[in-house]
Amino acid sequence: MGTWLARRLIAAVAIVFAVVTLTFFLMHLGPASPIVPSAEQPLDPDVVARLRQQFGTDQALSVQYVRYLTQLAHGNLAVSFSQRRPVAAALADAIPNTIVLAGAALLVDFGLGLLLGVVMAARARSRLDAGLGNATLFLRSVPTFWLALIVILVFGERLHWFPVGGTIDIVRHHSFSFLGRIADRLWHLALPALTLGVVGAAGTARFQRNATLDALSADYVRTARAKGVTERRIVAVHALRNALLPAITLFGLALPFLLTGAVLIETVFAWPGMGKLAADAIFSRDYPVVLACALAASVMVVAGNLAADVLYAVADPRIRITERDRA
Amino acid sequence: MNLRAWLALLGALSVAWLAARAARRRAAGTAGGRRFFASPFAGLGIGVLTFFAVVAVAAPLVAPFHPDRQLDIIDLVDRAPSWSHPLGTDLYSRDLWSRLVYGARVSLGIGALAMAVALTLGAAVGAAAGYFRRATDVVLMRLVDVGIAMPRLFLLIVAASVWQHVSLGALILILGVTGWFGTSRLVRAEVLSLRERDFVTAARALGARPGRIIFRHVLPNVASPLLVSAALGIGNVMLTEAALSFLGIGVRPPTASWGNMIADGAGQIVGAPWTTLFPGLAIALVVMALNATGDALRDALAARPSSYEEET
Amino acid sequence: MRRALLPLAALCLLATGARRPADCSGDYCGTLVFAAGGQPDILLPPVSVSALSRDIHDQIFLKLADIGMTLNTVGDRGFVPVLAKRWEWRDSLTLVFHLDPRAHWQDGPPVTAGDVAFTFQAYTDPQVNSSSAPILAHIASVTARDSLTAVFRFRDRYPEMFYDAVYHMRILPAHLLASVPRDHWMSADFGRAPVGDGPYRFVTWTPEYLELAADSTFFLGRPHIRRLLWRFTPNFDVAITQLIADQADALETLGPPPNVPRVQAAKQLALYRYSGTNYAFLQFNLTANGDTTRPHPILSDRQVRRAITMAVDRVKLCQSVWGDLAKAPPGPMPQAWWIWNVGTTPLPYDTTEAARLLTADGWVDSDGDGIRDKGGVKLSLHLATPTSSGSRHRYALLIQGQLKSLGVDIQIDEVDPVTFNQRLLAGLFDAALPAWNTDPTPSSSFAQRWTRAGWGRFNYGRYANPNLERLLGQATLSAADPQSAARAWRAVLDTLNQDAPGVWLFAPDNVAVVHNRVAAVTIRPDSWWALVWTWRIPPDRLLDRDRTER
Repeated sequence: MGTWLARRLIAAVAIVFAVVTLTFFLMHLGPASPIVPSAEQPLDPDVVARLRQQFGTDQALSVQYVRYLTQLAHGNLAVSFSQRRPVAAALADAIPNTIVLAGAALLVDFGLGLLLGVVMAARARSRLDAGLGNATLFLRSVPTFWLALIVILVFGERLHWFPVGGTIDIVRHHSFSFLGRIADRLWHLALPALTLGVVGAAGTARFQRNATLDALSADYVRTARAKGVTERRIVAVHALRNALLPAITLFGLALPFLLTGAVLIETVFAWPGMGKLAADAIFSRDYPVVLACALAASVMVVAGNLAADVLYAVADPRIRITERDRA
Repeated sequence: MNLRAWLALLGALSVAWLAARAARRRAAGTAGGRRFFASPFAGLGIGVLTFFAVVAVAAPLVAPFHPDRQLDIIDLVDRAPSWSHPLGTDLYSRDLWSRLVYGARVSLGIGALAMAVALTLGAAVGAAAGYFRRATDVVLMRLVDVGIAMPRLFLLIVAASVWQHVSLGALILILGVTGWFGTSRLVRAEVLSLRERDFVTAARALGARPGRIIFRHVLPNVASPLLVSAALGIGNVMLTEAALSFLGIGVRPPTASWGNMIADGAGQIVGAPWTTLFPGLAIALVVMALNATGDALRDALAARPSSYEEET
Repeated sequence: MRRALLPLAALCLLATGARRPADCSGDYCGTLVFAAGGQPDILLPPVSVSALSRDIHDQIFLKLADIGMTLNTVGDRGFVPVLAKRWEWRDSLTLVFHLDPRAHWQDGPPVTAGDVAFTFQAYTDPQVNSSSAPILAHIASVTARDSLTAVFRFRDRYPEMFYDAVYHMRILPAHLLASVPRDHWMSADFGRAPVGDGPYRFVTWTPEYLELAADSTFFLGRPHIRRLLWRFTPNFDVAITQLIADQADALETLGPPPNVPRVQAAKQLALYRYSGTNYAFLQFNLTANGDTTRPHPILSDRQVRRAITMAVDRVKLCQSVWGDLAKAPPGPMPQAWWIWNVGTTPLPYDTTEAARLLTADGWVDSDGDGIRDKGGVKLSLHLATPTSSGSRHRYALLIQGQLKSLGVDIQIDEVDPVTFNQRLLAGLFDAALPAWNTDPTPSSSFAQRWTRAGWGRFNYGRYANPNLERLLGQATLSAADPQSAARAWRAVLDTLNQDAPGVWLFAPDNVAVVHNRVAAVTIRPDSWWALVWTWRIPPDRLLDRDRTER
């Protein structure tokens, strides 16, 4: 287990390093002038100096690259053009919000998705299965941002069930008790997390339906049925355990989807996370911010995949053993 | 909306319906075909796709107005659907149905072309990795790992902010280049298993070069999973392009794409919801059709008996 | 499932009941939430650029004297004492202010004449690079005779001397800003957490909102409204929605027509009309995009600019986007300026003439792609517009459509407001859609925008016409006599219109929206929220959000 984990860690670090290199070269393929401002562009000389330190275009590419890496290693992500403060500060404000949103959406995704998938498989070929199948097909195919707009219109503006945007009630949040503050945050989190989660759940449900059907058609299940075990017990005890295993691999795929979805959902719901930061930064041509967000997203995906792999290995010992044999 | 446009619309609908029926009849002959049409919505999916494909190709015939034409910026702004404008008009007094039709060209075109690029790249990389194994395999698959690590939208955002103006061709290229990773893994897996087959060993023994073996013997057998991948992948690309255009970095105005139509309409969703509703529904319909068709294809091809021996 | 309901219900009860009781009552409660479509750039007066920043920092910092509701900028009778208790003219070029000894900074020390002198130095320091520096060029020096007496010395006499002395400078705390290097003011931490001497003090600024709290020791009277919050929304439409949903209390302009019935239908809102001090226009860059030393390959040609101006149907565009709520101005001016009626005629809408001008100038479509070209250069321009303005975004699309039939290709660049301003200041554009919230008088702003003195600052397009500057000088000097002033200004505007450095698009009638529980609402046209500290919410109309403490 130890060597396997070590190898996975090294691979993860290598991937992040490769992403860093890729984005560096991507930045330098574009026009050079946006980073080094012209003589009259009213940028703080302090900002210019720090940017030149990180992105200085007057030297050899390899020198710039090494400098870029050392800056990153020291946690110096340069200064944002539009916010006039270090990118690290902007990210520090934004990332927790995205993690909260993505986490909640993940809960909805897997909670709802696995449940639906199992139900659909247990009632396969019935009208319930067909109905749920249509609903999930629609949700899988719909653009997330469009769904978000419709949701805001219906639940936010027409029905007034949920607030339209923001993470807290800015007027009253600080007067709430601890529990009240949590409730306030949850109430604001509900709509964006549900929207993002439900779309993911549709895909998870379909996957889980197939996985459960496969498990249900296995020999041991047929034996159990022949022995007279109730259908409910078969599904819950025998099939589910094996059907849930592939769901862990879904976790690794869910992360990029959630982060991508976060960009759109955060923009529509005005949720001040990393996605909105990146989307806003496009319009400010705020390269340091865009780059930092892309890097942060990659790190999150790699970390998530690593976690999923570890989970899978813990759950299924066969993986660890066969991995050792492979070159 | 004039007579020509109505007739063209009816024509497109009939072609779609006939195509679906014809496909169903022809497919009833083979087991795989029957399995395909047993899936719910498979037939409907084919019909929808045909309809939009016909509409996109015949756009000048089907659309009553030029999509960018601002018809009357005083009186025809944000008009609800009516007989003269079946889907209404938008904020700039442009006919929404015409924009949808031309937008089909753009969105479907980008989807298909980008997927073509992705499939080519993915198949090439996957085949090379699976066939040559060892060093090539390791290097290429690590590359794939890196590609999968960065969420696609972030990579596209970086690209969009670095190059200030991304042309349509560049957009297709970037979408394709960021979307081949899954395909390559799929192809690699297939090639790895096919590699050990007798017919490949025989071909190698006869002295055929690797390229020839890959192209003539291995790749044709990968065609089925590639087709499924394509059907599902185009839907994905279309959603990504819609997201990019919504964020403002995809297709530039005034060119219509379903994504930037939603962006145009987002501001008046309370007062004129049709401007956002219809383009979104169009995307949903097409992607649903693609998903349904892809799922049905996968189900149909899954139980197919091995026909590899036929190839030698 | 049923077992989970009980603790869930208990949690809900706890959550709702466990709020600290709303305890404020009386005359000094109240929370006002402003809906803002965008974020402020920085809260440091000499370097901040956006109107939103100004709205906020004018609650925190004070001027020596403030303009009254009549907006009379000639002489000193139209002004109200603020930091300066009284003033007198020692001679025709020397103005002496006596500061109010009660004024103090929010961290303790009193406001002194030393602060006034420091402020003048900062505003005029090229390292700070304030956009107000050229307006203060008439002032030779500001010195502190003693701690409460500030002496202003002018270089020359003109009618609006007093206005220039007091209107532009917000007095800054020398003891807090002297140590900040002058060239770092734009990214100074002080700008994100300012300390001032005004009726409100800074509390917090997050990506979602900004909060100010009333200073109960404010020397001109404790503000009645206790908390001011600015809620940042991604765009204007969302701001309107929040207003209607009772999640915001005030918005300075209603915007385009569809919003009017929506707002009128919301029973809790009251509308306040006031003279419009905004206008927007299409600015041409007469120097090359990205290189201000070279002329623009297309737009430095007066004939091309005139042709483009004549191809834009300003009146129709205004009607389409604004309905009755705005007018197409005869020059670069808002409706509030008296020069609206001096009788100048802008270039007419005449597409035939526009086409003829371009063809005569050599711009023809030689390759049949619908875009004119000349000598290998396509008549293609990038039009920059900020993301914060829905109406200007619409204008951009509409103009693109109108100019297409002329054979001019327009590419739209949408950028965020801060970047938009940066690009304008640096000359990194072909054409752009700026909008101004103007000063009460044309004299100072005109020079900033249309003469050589404004190059690198508000004269974004780097337009210069010596003849115009001469006429403008005459107009400024004749400010005291209405008839000769009108004649002089007509000459100025006619010259400007003939040169077509821009297309004057719209000047809205302003309608502010404020929650109807707020009493004593006065809105000064040049700075709509300047008098918020005098507003009050009667105790019997306090809402829940008014009573909550922070």
